[in-house]
Amino acid sequence: MVHLLPDRLPWFIVGPLIGLTVVWLYALANRPLGASGMFEEVVTLARRPAEATRWRVWLFLGIVAGAAIEALLAGRPASGLAYGSLGDLVPLPLLVPLLFGGGLLVGYGARWAGGCTSGHGICGTAVGSPGSLMAAGTFMVTAILVTAGLHLISGGAL
Amino acid sequence: MNRWGFIIGLSFGFLLGSGRVSEYQKIHDMLMLRDPYLYLMMGSAVAVAAPLLWLLSRRGWRTPFGGPLTLKRYRPARKDYLGSIVFGAGWAITGSCPGAILAMIGGGSLLGLIVALGAFSGLMLRDVVADRAIARPLPRTSYGELQSIRS
Repeated sequence: MVHLLPDRLPWFIVGPLIGLTVVWLYALANRPLGASGMFEEVVTLARRPAEATRWRVWLFLGIVAGAAIEALLAGRPASGLAYGSLGDLVPLPLLVPLLFGGGLLVGYGARWAGGCTSGHGICGTAVGSPGSLMAAGTFMVTAILVTAGLHLISGGAL
Repeated sequence: MNRWGFIIGLSFGFLLGSGRVSEYQKIHDMLMLRDPYLYLMMGSAVAVAAPLLWLLSRRGWRTPFGGPLTLKRYRPARKDYLGSIVFGAGWAITGSCPGAILAMIGGGSLLGLIVALGAFSGLMLRDVVADRAIARPLPRTSYGELQSIRS
């Protein structure tokens, strides 16, 4: 495999470039770069195609393609059925429903809160919206506590 | 704008991949407070975006596709807290949020497709639940309560 990119670019390169990408979209279309909103747009496209904002669906597809290009350039093999320490701990027949259920919470919660890590955590926070700041603080604290709980339940395996 | 949408998506996806947001282990290590990388990445993204957005809106920037730039700020509501508690739990279990799910799929993860399926089901389920709450017979909920259910 060819390795044209390092394994992980340093945060002080990736973070500011993500910040510029956020500004880029705001400057062009006056909209936050929120990923859960793109999921919602895909649902709208499937249900009521006339009402869907097409470019947000292109954004959705672009993220998948961009990540694929990065993985190829970094020479990283496809992750397939690997899922880190969670995949090592939980057998596949259990892992699939667990990930579906976890994904369900992600979608349900993001729809309810009106945003996720990108929409509230980066965009809303950069704009200084009090609602986004509270949402981001709440999901950060919740996720850290739930992760600590999973660590304890799994006897330190996670 | 479709072309721009795809290009901005490419950039965002490439960066999420570069930061390895596409991996359970990286997000899990972040939430276990073992690895500061993703906090620093998010923090520096905000630190770069915030002053630039402030400057653009102060100068009355007119966007080519969405009218004048308006940075929407709103007061925290019940939905911000409750929704984020549910979201945070899912984030911790899957080690993945909506952007990370897409990056994971791009990185060739088959299990990422399962998480995406769950996320799509979850957001449609939320709409069903919200619509049911609205459709409840009037005598049981005052108008004020209806408003708070929707928000």
